[in-house]
Amino acid sequence: MKSMSNFNIKFFFTLICGCFFFTCEKDDICISSVEESPDLVILLLDHQNSEIRKSPLGFIIKPIGNDKEIQKSSDDSLALPLNLQEKVTQFEFIQNSGSENENIDTLQINYDRIDKFINRACGYRANYILKPPSAIILNSGNNWIKGFIILKDTVSDEKAAHLGILH
Amino acid sequence: MKKLRIWVFYISILGCWFPLLAQEETQESSFKKEVLKDSVYSSKKATLSFRFGLDLYRIGLTQFSNDYNGLELVGDFKISEEFYLAVEVGREETTKQSEQVNFTADGAYFKLGFDYNMYENLVGLNNQVHLGLRFATSNYHNILNKYTLLDRTPFWPNSINEITNGYATGKRDNLNAQWLEFVAGFKVEILKNIYLGLSIRLNRLINDTIPENFDNLYIPGFNQKTDENKFGAGFNYSLTYKIPISFKKK
Repeated sequence: MKSMSNFNIKFFFTLICGCFFFTCEKDDICISSVEESPDLVILLLDHQNSEIRKSPLGFIIKPIGNDKEIQKSSDDSLALPLNLQEKVTQFEFIQNSGSENENIDTLQINYDRIDKFINRACGYRANYILKPPSAIILNSGNNWIKGFIILKDTVSDEKAAHLGILH
Repeated sequence: MKKLRIWVFYISILGCWFPLLAQEETQESSFKKEVLKDSVYSSKKATLSFRFGLDLYRIGLTQFSNDYNGLELVGDFKISEEFYLAVEVGREETTKQSEQVNFTADGAYFKLGFDYNMYENLVGLNNQVHLGLRFATSNYHNILNKYTLLDRTPFWPNSINEITNGYATGKRDNLNAQWLEFVAGFKVEILKNIYLGLSIRLNRLINDTIPENFDNLYIPGFNQKTDENKFGAGFNYSLTYKIPISFKKK
C-alpha cells in the first residue's frame, strides 16, 4: 500500500509538470484562404442595353489620393478597393487616355461599412452597403458615363458585380 | 493606492491567523501525548475539517501585470479520508491583444465539486495528492476595445489604422458559460495548518453565450478559449489555512 502511494505521487508530479507544456498557447495564424475585406466589383455596360458589357477605349482608372495603380483583370469588369476609413472613395474614370479627346469623369462611391467577426486569428473583415446615391459624378458637362445601376447593394464578397456603369 | 489597500487586506488576513496558530500550539503541546495515543487506534476514523485560502498566482499576476486583475478564494471540506468537497470563487478582469483584436473580459465565476485524495497520510496529516472534478459557471461581459480589419495587401495606406470607436467596438453584456474541470494536484502542509497547493485543470466547455459579432476569446475562470475547440486549461497555486478544530465523525 505504501509503495502504491509512492507510485501515485511520482505519477502525479510527472503529470502536473507535463501539463505545463500543454498550457503553452498556440500561435494563431490567419490562413490565406480566409477572404479579406472585399473590393467593389464594377461592370462597364452599354447604356442602350444594360445587358451587354462594353469596354471603353483607352480606359484607365486613377484613385484620388493614392498613387497606386488599380489592377485590371479585364476591360469591362474590375475591382475597386474602397477606403476602409472613409465613407466615400473617389476615382477618375478616364476614357481615351493619352489622346486628344481624353475625357475624365470623377466618380464618388458612397457607402457604409459593417465589420464582421471572422475568428480569433483573422479578426474582422469589412463589408459595405452602398448608400444612395451610391455613385455620383462630381464634374459637370461632357460626361462619358451616362448612368449607374445597382446590381447588389451589399458588398460582402467579390463573386458577383455590385455596380454597373453605363456608357 | 488600490494595490496598497489590497495588500493591507491580505496582511490583515495573515495577522488574524497567527494568534489562532499560537493558541493551537499551546493546546497541542499540553494534549499531545493523549492525542498521539488516541489517534493510533482511531487512524481509520475520518475527521471533518475545513480549509480555506486564496490563489497566489492570480494575486501575483494582479500585482505584476497592468492588464490583469483577479482574485480567487478557495476552500475545501473534508468529508472522509478520500473525499473533499471543494469550491473556488473568483473574479477576473483581463485585457488582451489577440492578433488583430484588443478586448477586455470581466466577470465572476463559481466552481463546485470534489477532490479524491490518493495520498495515504500519516495520522493527523491532511496532505493531498488528488484528482477532482468541478462544475463551473461564469457570468461576464466582453468589451471590444480596438481592432484592425483584415486587409492583407492594403491599397489605401490608412486601412491598417486601428478602429477604436464605433463599428464593432463596444460592450457585450450578460454573457455566461458553464464547463467541467478535471483537476489534478497536490496540497502540502508547509507550516502548522498552512497548506501550499498546486492544481492543474483541463476544462471542457459545456455551453457559452456567443457575444454578438464577436466570440468568447477569454472566459473568466475558464481561461483562453480557442477556435473550434471545447477544451481549455488552467491552474491555481493556492495557499490555504486549515481551521484547527476538527470534528470527529460519529
